[in-house]
Amino acid sequence: MTRWTTTELMACVIARDLVDGEVVVMGAVPALPMAACLLARATHAPNLDFIVGGSGTVSPAPDRLPASSCTGELAPAEVTLPLPDVVSLEGRGDAFDVFCAGGLQIDAHGNCNLVAVGDWERPKLRGPGTVGLPFLPNTKRSIIYTQSHTPRTFVERVDFVSGPGHPSGPDEARPYRKQGPSLVVTPLASFDFDETGRMRLRTVHPGVTVDEVLAATGFEPAPGPDPSTTPEPTEEELAILRDLDRDGVLRR
Amino acid sequence: MRPRFVDADEAVTSVEPDSTLGVGGMQLTAAPMALVRALVRRRTRIGRLVTSPSASLQADLPIAAGLVDELVSPYVGFEHLGLAPAFRRAVEGGSLRVLEIDEGSLTHALHAGASGIPFVPCPPGIDLTDIPRVDPTLFRRVVDPFDGTERWAVPAIRPDTVFVAAAVADEHGNVAFDRFPFTDRTMALAARRLLVEVEEVVPAGSLADRPPGTTLPAFLVDAIVVAPGGCLPTEYPGRYGRDDETLRAYLAAAKTGDPDAVAPFLEEARR
Repeated sequence: MTRWTTTELMACVIARDLVDGEVVVMGAVPALPMAACLLARATHAPNLDFIVGGSGTVSPAPDRLPASSCTGELAPAEVTLPLPDVVSLEGRGDAFDVFCAGGLQIDAHGNCNLVAVGDWERPKLRGPGTVGLPFLPNTKRSIIYTQSHTPRTFVERVDFVSGPGHPSGPDEARPYRKQGPSLVVTPLASFDFDETGRMRLRTVHPGVTVDEVLAATGFEPAPGPDPSTTPEPTEEELAILRDLDRDGVLRR
Repeated sequence: MRPRFVDADEAVTSVEPDSTLGVGGMQLTAAPMALVRALVRRRTRIGRLVTSPSASLQADLPIAAGLVDELVSPYVGFEHLGLAPAFRRAVEGGSLRVLEIDEGSLTHALHAGASGIPFVPCPPGIDLTDIPRVDPTLFRRVVDPFDGTERWAVPAIRPDTVFVAAAVADEHGNVAFDRFPFTDRTMALAARRLLVEVEEVVPAGSLADRPPGTTLPAFLVDAIVVAPGGCLPTEYPGRYGRDDETLRAYLAAAKTGDPDAVAPFLEEARR
């Protein structure tokens, strides 16, 4: 047993990646990215702002981490944007810095699939739908997180691109840009992307081996420096997280 | 014209079978369930169901009852409680046609519907996904007449009927939302017929100080249903919280695939 849970560690990994002054957007089931943003604000990024899903709330500081992205529990917020304005700004493309996203499938180039596993017309698994993920490329970068790291969720190529990652083949004319996914956080490890836009193992979490991560990953990550061990949550980080998370959402 | 105040069962008699229905409410909040439950009790078939950018029970319940032919929705799910069982089953089994769309294209299409704009070119992003490529009903290529580039475009969406849940109506039928109108006002403005369920009625004149952008004038509303707790088991912010226990019971019932199993969820919730 560790002093912390894997989800708390994931919140720390995302928080440490956020930069002071950035504006972050997130979608449904916001507890984890919200905890990361609030942790970053309480530590190194006091001027970070974040928008919680369909609520349009900007940097809410509720008593506890909410389960839903559209709840009245998202108060007090600094201010609230009407949802159509959030959508407009996502399209405008220069208002938001970081998009926190996930998927039923995530592929080697950071494409996300929230729509359908298998054939789109008669899927093996129908997902909820893509919501705002087509806007991923309109932020400076995206952070992908998932609670499921298996060969079925981490695939070479998603069955359906609902959230664009980095271009992956000669048939895609879009030149590689700095924009796109920059960090992937799972219960086992964290990844970044090499200069070709392919996912690369960056750190493995304490107690997890590189072989376990590779066995859970349905593609071969790009070669890179030897992965290090993800730094554990500090006492300060844990104290802040637990003060935010009075219901223990991150400790389940 | 001012709206009529009627009960939910009477209000939904105006919904034409096989027409297009828009339903408001985002995620697990402000779903117009009093109206949806009444429509499902009446077993009115919905030709095309259009939701807000993220729907839950207001989409899954009519699908569970086998009443929906086509769905236009960027998301049907129950957030932390899990996937939408009836929606999943219907799509995986081939009995529900999904017209794939994303939050941005849908919101802009509703705005176009509200504005008399025939179609809208989509902002960048969608072109890098498979969303517009699987069905030409909602996505076509257009050439930007100003710079010559090709873009995806979506047609205006104008539902024949729209259901939204607001906080209050005054005695004249003017309507006010509380904290989060979400995209419900946009959808309401795009409606050919607008039915609004509210928590309570307040005296005429008492909405005068509500900020613009949180209200709808009576002349846009066709009928008002006073349904305290009508959004349950979803939340109405500031009035009542989400009922996760009932939502979990619904999910378990809908997973069985038996339309009779969801029958108890067609009764009005009690606060």
